[in-house]
Amino acid sequence: MGNSFAMLMEGFQTAFTPINLMFGLLGTFLGTLVGVLPGIGPALAIGLLLPVCLTVNPTSALIMFAAIYYGAMYGGSTTSILLNTPGESGSVITALEGNKMAKAGRAGAALATAAIGSFVAGTIATLLLAFGAPWMADVALTIQPAGYLSLIILAFATVGTLLGSSRIRGLVALSVGLVIGLVGADLQSGALRLTFGNMNAIDGIETVTVIVAIFALGEALYLASRHTLLSTEVIEMKGKAWMTREDFRRSWKPWLRGTAIGFPLGVIPAGGSEVPTFLSYGVEKALSKNKDEFGKGAIEGVAGPEAANNANAAGVLVPMLALGLPTSATAAVVLVAFQSFNIQPGPMLFQTNPEIIWGLIASLFIGNTLLLVLNLPLIRFWVLLLKIPSHYLYAGITTFALLGAYALNNSTFDLQVALAVGFIGYLFRRFGVPVTPLIIGVILGPLAELQFKRALQISQGDWSILVAGGFPKMIYGILLLVIIGPLVWNFKKKFAVKK
Amino acid sequence: MILKISKQAKGELVFASSLFLLGLFVAWDTSGMDIPQGSSIISPQTFPYMVAIFTSLVGFVLIIDVLRGRLGTPEGDEPGDPFMGANFKTMAMIATAIALHVILLEIAGYVVAATVCFFGVSYGFGSRKYRKDFGISLAFALIVYFSFTKGLNINLPSGFFEGVFGNG
Repeated sequence: MGNSFAMLMEGFQTAFTPINLMFGLLGTFLGTLVGVLPGIGPALAIGLLLPVCLTVNPTSALIMFAAIYYGAMYGGSTTSILLNTPGESGSVITALEGNKMAKAGRAGAALATAAIGSFVAGTIATLLLAFGAPWMADVALTIQPAGYLSLIILAFATVGTLLGSSRIRGLVALSVGLVIGLVGADLQSGALRLTFGNMNAIDGIETVTVIVAIFALGEALYLASRHTLLSTEVIEMKGKAWMTREDFRRSWKPWLRGTAIGFPLGVIPAGGSEVPTFLSYGVEKALSKNKDEFGKGAIEGVAGPEAANNANAAGVLVPMLALGLPTSATAAVVLVAFQSFNIQPGPMLFQTNPEIIWGLIASLFIGNTLLLVLNLPLIRFWVLLLKIPSHYLYAGITTFALLGAYALNNSTFDLQVALAVGFIGYLFRRFGVPVTPLIIGVILGPLAELQFKRALQISQGDWSILVAGGFPKMIYGILLLVIIGPLVWNFKKKFAVKK
Repeated sequence: MILKISKQAKGELVFASSLFLLGLFVAWDTSGMDIPQGSSIISPQTFPYMVAIFTSLVGFVLIIDVLRGRLGTPEGDEPGDPFMGANFKTMAMIATAIALHVILLEIAGYVVAATVCFFGVSYGFGSRKYRKDFGISLAFALIVYFSFTKGLNINLPSGFFEGVFGNG
């Protein structure tokens, strides 16, 4: 505990150098800028900005990333409130109440409670992250390959079955992700898989290309096929983005409750920011004295879910940093950002790169504060971005996404991959298949194979090692609960209805 | 048993079946894998076979799901009837714009490729103010080109602007 505190202070020293502070500021600005644009969620925002960061030194780049991460989250809520087009699942609820508030002329209060709530939740959650992640990393150092594999499989199961409306479609996405992850040379033997004699494919498919293509190109193709780009209405904002004493009184408890719900659900792989924001909304609705306002623009319904969303974003970073296991699309992009600097997140990270990791955590605090200071006064500027005609917006997103895919390796092969993955993204969107499990599959598939082989090498090929020991047994136990639990629940409900 | 299959269900059946076939394909590719000498205890084929089985299994369950009438619905609350027929013409325009970018990039350079792509996508999305669209497309391409090559030192193909702009 004391050690973490000292390390964190050192992290602040790293983050507070003028150059790093400048990158933090730039990241906040860019993150919000891209996050505000309708149709761009945090994962795509970070993916698009990855090439920009590749030219600076790792510490500064990752500090910039931390700022982009929170900035993009923040930008997304602005779009939801003023435009009613949630860029990502975590902002769906914000759009629900926030857009109603904006229509009733209370856009300023909605934006303020979202911003301050995000700040409060982000700060508390980052503090929990700073002390929780090193602890988890210590525990993780004792985990054997078989245990690791069980954790990855648990992440597959939760991300695959808890997201979206249909379990099977989550698993569909996961399986396609696993297939994409297979492409290239096998890490240990060098055997080639699914490369079709193409030299470019030997190194495998770039995860960033997949993320950018599936979100940007897939979405553009889908919207083109639907013809739904025509008109979206930006709600004019009157007055300042600030809240009254009454708004504060009604907001602070939802902020804290949102944090309490969002953070833990980020740490355990509970399948993205959808669940915590919906939970928080439900809790606020149940506890509110103004129940009749819900659905018509209740400030609690913005304050709670926004706090939950941000706390969740920080919570997801805990397993990402301490175990190297991303459980959301956004965390997956941050993991890729680490990997592009040859830094592998995981239990060893706190020992091998303490300077980078604590600098990063410190800059999460700084980025969060900068956001609050910068964004409330700048809100009018951000609103202007919402008025970009949508055909130019999507033309820009598409072109920039292709640039991102190309600039990584300067290879047209990546562009061809992007086009193909964009088409898969279109099909997924069309048939209601969630995309996050695909991204998790691409990233964790190769890792799962690695741990699988390590485990079997230790046991000289005896498969029983996979379930030997207390830790894997416990994880597979949880897995059974996660899978069978809802089935039993459904059965009970059906049974009750029949009765 | 299967009396009425809607147009949407047909499309989804094709999707589900291709997933099933993808699994078979991965298995076929794995079976023909060249395994380098001196491989470790665990064959590099084991994991791909597992992925292949999983993929086909999931595809199979999806086929059954669709046949039982549980169709996938696009998520999100965009306006318009979610079941209205897809407009493949506009979609093809976007796809063409992207494909042109891929083809033109190393032949004609970034500025040309990006201008064509930007213009094509905005055309596909219904913009018909050609002069303005072209101006914005070119400006976008130039700004991106120079901020990446000069500002960030990331190399982009200069194409036939090589002589004009120097080797960006």
